[in-house]
Amino acid sequence: MKGINKNYIILAGLGILLCLLPMFVTKPYYLQVIIMCILWAYLASCWNIIGGFAGQLSLGHGIYTAVGAYVAVILFNTFGLSPWLGMFVGGGIAVLLSLVIGFPTFGLRGAYYALATVAIGEAVVVLLNNTGHLGQFLIGGAEGLSVKMVGVSAAAIQFNSKVPYYYIILAMLFLIIFIAQWIKNSKLGYYLVALREDEDAAAAMGIDVRRNKLIAGAISAFFTALGGVFYAVLIRYLEPTAIAGAIMSNQMVFMTIVGGAGTVLGPVIGGITLSFISELIRFYLGSQLMGLHLFIFGLIVMLMIIFQPKGLIELKERFKRKRGSGADQNEGGESGARSASGA
Amino acid sequence: MGFLSVVANGLSMGAIYGLIALGLTLIFGIMKIINFAQGALLMVSMMISYWLWVATGLSPYILVLIVAPLMFLMGYFSERFLIKPVIDAQKDVREPVSVLLLTAAFAIVLENLCLMLFGADYVMAQTSFSSQTLALGSVTVSAARFYGLIIALVVAFLFYMFLQYSQTGRNLRATGQDRNAAALMGIDVTKTYAIAFGIGTALLAVAAVALIPFYYVHPSVGAVFMTKAFIVVVLGGLGSVPGAILGGIIIGLIESVAAQYMTATLTAMLVYLVFLVVLFIKPTGIFGSPYEW
Repeated sequence: MKGINKNYIILAGLGILLCLLPMFVTKPYYLQVIIMCILWAYLASCWNIIGGFAGQLSLGHGIYTAVGAYVAVILFNTFGLSPWLGMFVGGGIAVLLSLVIGFPTFGLRGAYYALATVAIGEAVVVLLNNTGHLGQFLIGGAEGLSVKMVGVSAAAIQFNSKVPYYYIILAMLFLIIFIAQWIKNSKLGYYLVALREDEDAAAAMGIDVRRNKLIAGAISAFFTALGGVFYAVLIRYLEPTAIAGAIMSNQMVFMTIVGGAGTVLGPVIGGITLSFISELIRFYLGSQLMGLHLFIFGLIVMLMIIFQPKGLIELKERFKRKRGSGADQNEGGESGARSASGA
Repeated sequence: MGFLSVVANGLSMGAIYGLIALGLTLIFGIMKIINFAQGALLMVSMMISYWLWVATGLSPYILVLIVAPLMFLMGYFSERFLIKPVIDAQKDVREPVSVLLLTAAFAIVLENLCLMLFGADYVMAQTSFSSQTLALGSVTVSAARFYGLIIALVVAFLFYMFLQYSQTGRNLRATGQDRNAAALMGIDVTKTYAIAFGIGTALLAVAAVALIPFYYVHPSVGAVFMTKAFIVVVLGGLGSVPGAILGGIIIGLIESVAAQYMTATLTAMLVYLVFLVVLFIKPTGIFGSPYEW
């Protein structure tokens, strides 16, 4: 019991610290960096539901950020619909899209599924880049789409200060961590792990493989779309390649892998670490050499896949194990308490 | 442009797509790895060829004698030091996706390295024949594209012969069919993997020298060909050599012919549509892929 309590105290402390952060970080630039780090942690966590838990290597998740962002912005620009509501319309359409795409593609295995998602992602980028108008709706094509400015308004999610954005994305991150934790311990979570490890064996056990993939894909698409809406209201400008393209899609994947795919906190750690390092390099060296931050980003991902394939989160486990073997008082006490509470 | 000229242009571009896809299909056929760095490696080959052309002034087609061995070594050692450790670590995993992600990260590293070294400018090797056209009867075709077509077809044929009849080719095919059985027959699988990756990369050098007289080079040019190469290999059948060339030609033809009747966007969408339809109806492609999908 003692060990579990300690973990909760650490998490609660961390949560309070994060909530108080804007009191200490007053420079908008720093807060913007932190917001982007959390957004990436959030998006990586969304991808992790289908890519980590279910092991489906989707390389086209940018289409869901794009759907969420474009739907919310178009509804806001045309009808003045608050992005708070547009978020759910965008999320709903992303879910429909994930079902339409998922139904045929989830029949494909491994590499073929990955290739199909790449092609669909690229097709969406081409489509967005070349569609100026769709009926009465302005889409903007390659010029991009700007969010109509209405001044400070909570309903339109437009603020002068960065602080409200910080709290919104922080709440979204907590929500997705909670959902990931819930999926992990639910029946769905066990089904997903089973079909990730061996699809045929899972089917033989009576698991409806496609149905469970579709559910995981829909949950992932919905929350990814919400992330897209947040991106739209934060940046206030949508550019097809940036919001839907390979960079968007691949970053989510890389961050999850670096943090630890298939774990609840791995994508969060990976997302924050990678985007922070990337931003740091861009800030200090970016002006001197174009491409340096992405070069180092790619290098880190490569080194992680080669030397630490289970992600940063596994470092903690390893450290724990090492300490545990030296003086296993702590570890033994915790597992003992756990089995006792389970009994 | 007459219809036949359009077809000729499509053929030449398609054959080069096929050549790029050849490396991809070889690496997949033997190592069961989708190489996401294929586009970036093509870009590196194009950059090296371009700068060698600037430095020496020799015809790009002669430069292949330098660029191809260089790219072979690059592929060989990339496999040895980057891909092999990951394959070894994932031996017991059913669908090793880490290697795929590794190559994707490798692509980002290569692209941004070239961006730092060469800048983001668009460059092209303006050779004496770059703006020439050849007239074959009523068909007119750009000289550079026509030479590209010939080079692609000849190299693809030589490559096929090499796979079929040389000892290394037999080793490659045996390893692709069953790496454990191949190892038992005394084939050095580790070395064969590295050779496969090296050859797959060296083929890109050929595509690169064929491209630079008429195609602009810039650090992100790889992405354009990458997606096309994916489409081509799935269309032809992942792992099939004739499939790669035929798939490339089909895509090249669809692009050039469709562009006469519809907008560029619709043409691009049509290519993706063909790809997805093939993927859903016959994922093993035209020539059939012997591998599990």
